[in-house]
Amino acid sequence: MAPDTLIRIQGIKRHFILGDSVVKALDGVDLDIEQGEMMCLMGPSGSGKSTLMNLLGGLDTPDEGTIVVGGRDISALDENELALYRRQMVGFVFQSFNLIPTMTALENVSFPLIFSGTAPAERKARGEELLDMVGLADRMDHKPTELSGGQQQRVAMARALANDPQILLGDEPTGNLDSKTGVEVMEMLRKLNEQGQTIVLVTHDPRVSQYTTRSIHMLDGRIIEEELAPL
Amino acid sequence: MNFRDLLRVVWSNLNRMRGRAIMTALGVVIGTAAIVVLIALASGLQESATGDATAFGPVNQITLLPGAFFRAFGAPSGGDESVLTPDIIKEIGRREGVTAITPKEQVAAPTTIKLNRLVGSGTLTGIDPLVVRDMGLEVERGADILGNWTVIVGAKVGESFVDPRERSGTQVQRNGSEEPLDLLGQTLSVSITKLGDDGKPITRTVRLRVGGVLEETGSDDYAIYMALADAEDLTSWYSGQRPDRRNDGYSQAVVVVDDTQQLLPIQRELEDDGFFAFSAQSTLQQINILFAVIQAVFGGIGAIALLVAAIGIANTMIMSILERTREIGLMKAVGATNRDVMSIFIAEAGAIGFFGGIAGVLFGIGAAKVIDVIAQAYINAQLASSGSTSSDPISIAIIPIWLPIFAIVFSLIIGLASGIYPALRAVQLDPVNALKYE
Repeated sequence: MAPDTLIRIQGIKRHFILGDSVVKALDGVDLDIEQGEMMCLMGPSGSGKSTLMNLLGGLDTPDEGTIVVGGRDISALDENELALYRRQMVGFVFQSFNLIPTMTALENVSFPLIFSGTAPAERKARGEELLDMVGLADRMDHKPTELSGGQQQRVAMARALANDPQILLGDEPTGNLDSKTGVEVMEMLRKLNEQGQTIVLVTHDPRVSQYTTRSIHMLDGRIIEEELAPL
Repeated sequence: MNFRDLLRVVWSNLNRMRGRAIMTALGVVIGTAAIVVLIALASGLQESATGDATAFGPVNQITLLPGAFFRAFGAPSGGDESVLTPDIIKEIGRREGVTAITPKEQVAAPTTIKLNRLVGSGTLTGIDPLVVRDMGLEVERGADILGNWTVIVGAKVGESFVDPRERSGTQVQRNGSEEPLDLLGQTLSVSITKLGDDGKPITRTVRLRVGGVLEETGSDDYAIYMALADAEDLTSWYSGQRPDRRNDGYSQAVVVVDDTQQLLPIQRELEDDGFFAFSAQSTLQQINILFAVIQAVFGGIGAIALLVAAIGIANTMIMSILERTREIGLMKAVGATNRDVMSIFIAEAGAIGFFGGIAGVLFGIGAAKVIDVIAQAYINAQLASSGSTSSDPISIAIIPIWLPIFAIVFSLIIGLASGIYPALRAVQLDPVNALKYE
């Protein structure tokens, strides 16, 4: 494994049974992801890119193959260990933000810290720091409904960073945003990446790939093409 | 996730579904209030039935009847020994823990008790003069000595004397005073009439000197205690033959024990010997068992209401989990363990039960007080219309100290339990699907 390899995926298979038919969402995928990389998984619906991301995020486990993250095979973890893995290693950004509607921006950002047992004062400080970083220092006490889509996604990004994750996973982070706010969000992700944050995005928006260092194209559960961004 | 954060999260979640949480908790309120009121009523009944324990008789005495009495009610044979002959009475008197024993014989003859022209009544009862003190017969005035036609009368025997020439039932009012007749030092004449051998009535009259008046006890206020020999004399004269106590035994005996704690074992031993035995303690014990059953039944009725409430809680929680599916997915994505998710939902259900329980207890105590006030007003009105006044206020509903605590803990447990199934459903949600749930 190269010294900078953060994630090594080998021989991953993930099959779903839908009625009588077996859907081969992932059918033998090998992939290394470097520390500090900003890559995107591209492909049409059903190509397996979201399934791959769920496996990376520890939300799902493969039927075959190994996923070694930071030297540890997460494909063999039980539910409790997976929860800890998600808490310590991963931050998620979703297409539909998934903010809790009754909580303020600050409460949403510090929400993950409740489960890691962080003290309330520290949670607040960390939340404020993160919201400041995403440029929402003046929106801390606003509920999600009082924020624009772009602002909501920035709150979600701040939340994803709360536990200082090794990997930031984004599932169509710009999918629900207009192109202008989409650009804002992508700029912010690029900024994070420049600070060393490893980022994996799932998208079928070709404009997203303009911001990434590497694009993986998938089809029918396999990687069909890999392209590096021009340096 | 620590406990304080859990409470914080639970509180904010309940706050979010406030209306529904309150509606659901109302079921718990009703159930808990029902338990509190019903058990309070049962406790009130028990208290009014058993509150004055001395009314059941002295706590250190066992009344013995021969086994024949027992068999008359269809119980299995008690054996030959269960006859209260003088020898057996002596033997029981020597047993460990027994202070004293006396035969107790009522004069078996129709008697007329008179004081000058006044006619009174009382139960002429013969006991061993040596055990007067051991039996706890406390003389209020006079001496506690029996024998030679000297008697001790119960506190209310004096009140029974009426002048037959006045309107029937009118109590004697001498010198216009309301004071009941004081029998101390008086001589009562007791007459027994029987048919002689020639078919003509013959009457024997004896004079009883009242040597003492007992304190009011509630159990022997109408007794006239006399020496056993004197009572036997009257009974023999009436029946024309001396009762054969050596073979037939006495009809009743009273056993006095040293230690009231040891009474029930001694009573059981006597029952095993074939006697029919009863005591204030065993009567109280049986009444208390009866009321424990009544309380359990009443509590059970309330518990059914609470069970219905539990289903309501489970229903509300399942609804809430459906609505919060994405949120549960998110919680899992940000690293909440199954235990965290489980605790949150069980604690929410428990909180509905807990707050419902507190409100129910307050409501139930209030309702019990209202019932109490209304019932007392009713009882007082009844007493007033019958011309008497109540000596003590009678409580219809009594709330034992354990009841509110029990009711709140019970509703908390009901709430927690009804959260288990919804929480398991929340835990089993697949985070990938939950996050996409619309």
